[in-house]
Amino acid sequence: MSGRKLAALSAGAVLLVLFLLANSPGELRRRVAFLSRSARLELAARRLGGSGTAFDRELFVFVESLRRGLPRDAPGVAILTSRPSTQALYLASYALAPTPVLMNPRQVPPRWLAAVYGVAPPPGFRIVAELPGGTLLARP
Amino acid sequence: MAFAESLLQVAAVLAVAGAVGWAVAAALVPRGARAERLAWGLAAGLTLTALSVPLAFAIRIRPGWLAFLLLASLAVLPARILRLRGRAIAASSGPLDLATALFALILIAGVALYCLRALTEPMWANDYVAIWGLKGKTFFAEGRVPGRLFLWRSLAFSHPEYPLGIPFLYAGIAGLLGRWDDHAMALLFPALQVATLLALSGWLRRRGASRPLALGAAALLSQFEPLYRGFTTGMAEVPLSFALLLFGTSLSDRIDRTDPGASRRLVLASLVCAATKNEGLFFVAAGLVVAAFSAFSRRGVFARAAALIAFPAALVAAGHRLLRGHLPLSDFDFSILRRPDELVRRMGETFAAVRRGTPPEVLLGLAALGVLIAAGRPSPAGRRLFALAACALGAYLFLPALAVAGPTWLVETAFFRTVAALAPLVAAAVAVRLVPVFADGRPETGKIGDSSI
Repeated sequence: MSGRKLAALSAGAVLLVLFLLANSPGELRRRVAFLSRSARLELAARRLGGSGTAFDRELFVFVESLRRGLPRDAPGVAILTSRPSTQALYLASYALAPTPVLMNPRQVPPRWLAAVYGVAPPPGFRIVAELPGGTLLARP
Repeated sequence: MAFAESLLQVAAVLAVAGAVGWAVAAALVPRGARAERLAWGLAAGLTLTALSVPLAFAIRIRPGWLAFLLLASLAVLPARILRLRGRAIAASSGPLDLATALFALILIAGVALYCLRALTEPMWANDYVAIWGLKGKTFFAEGRVPGRLFLWRSLAFSHPEYPLGIPFLYAGIAGLLGRWDDHAMALLFPALQVATLLALSGWLRRRGASRPLALGAAALLSQFEPLYRGFTTGMAEVPLSFALLLFGTSLSDRIDRTDPGASRRLVLASLVCAATKNEGLFFVAAGLVVAAFSAFSRRGVFARAAALIAFPAALVAAGHRLLRGHLPLSDFDFSILRRPDELVRRMGETFAAVRRGTPPEVLLGLAALGVLIAAGRPSPAGRRLFALAACALGAYLFLPALAVAGPTWLVETAFFRTVAALAPLVAAAVAVRLVPVFADGRPETGKIGDSSI
């Protein structure tokens, strides 16, 4: 076997070992277990148990309930919360798309609905629906 | 709906897109190069799926089968007329040896592992949720491209300036599926991984690589977790890595004039690159430079290659301009270029952040990569692919210095995953240099022997 061949095979073997070591058997087992547990659940429940909602699973329950209760013609939703974060904004915007979302705006835009999560409802709104962890509101 | 059922439906959608693409790829890939035809077929099929969305919007119908089949028939019929008649390589008739069988097993394991990582849960990475998925879901649900995505300040987080190829692809798949399923749709990513591995091994085989070398390179790449992991599923890196491999190999084929399909492949690859991510346009520009260095001395070759590279990318850029107007790159402050002291300081910060974020095992891996490169023989094709990868690495190292949020932030959030997307290109560059080292007696040029083309 030539020196070049031997060097290439050795370096390839080192890379392969490094790549294989990057796999954590524990993580792979957890993935298999999660997948087999969640595969029969509906899509939203699978997302609820996943990584994207780990920062605040209760918020996702609220947002998903909001999505299900949102009138089709809602021009947008202003989410008023005591725990605003970019992650929360991204998740709510994605989950509620195509309905536009604002988080803690200075004013709720005209005709938009307001969804309060963990804060008291602002004055001058009527309740449209009670949601887990919050309330969906509209101007009278 | 249970996950398995949804997954089968998405698999069927991808299979149909791939089948249409297979028919189109008859005009792109020489006969006999089945692995490459499958890879280019998926690229073509997914491109048609994505393009069917703006077509549907233009003719005021919902994205779905009607727009897709209309576009598919417009692509398949000419492809049938323009199909390539030359044969690339003789089918290998030798028995499977131990190395080939071992590499095949490693490759299957790599694909299975990525399937597990990609499909454990619905796509969840921040960039998917805030950028690619948000736009795709909005297009699909609204049945149009709403202007607010590009105009509203409150939606600046979704990066209105990013290309729309991936959101259109998501909306296209959802249109064919009939609903938005962000878990089953993740199957797209292992499919892209498989297509990348087929493109890599197929191209290497056409370039004269022995079966174990071609399969070995693909097997090693399949295990590259920094690219093929749960976090990158849904983001642009895996599609871009596939597009870059297609672009680099087709550019090299075009310069070497391996077959008449090379020009057509280059057109498709340039289009896909530009439509996938902003740096796709940069790659197209880098491809122009590489083509200039490689073919400038050959009269007319560079001019034709430049047109093939630039025209599709310009078309994509013009399409974006038409849809959303001019949008600057919001992550970068280019005025820093006028302040050399600050630029130098920021570049120092970038290098320090890269050094801090590079663990010892990565240095060991880079050393092994260096040995692989040194063990190979000089190859014009390898040089071109390395030049493209070097341009990208240079840009990825330089850009954090211009980051509005600071160099450290960009290095920590994006540098390592974007560099990981260069892996297929680098794998092709390294492996093509090893072709003469592991030669099995076949020609090394990759030119096809049939004189009828």
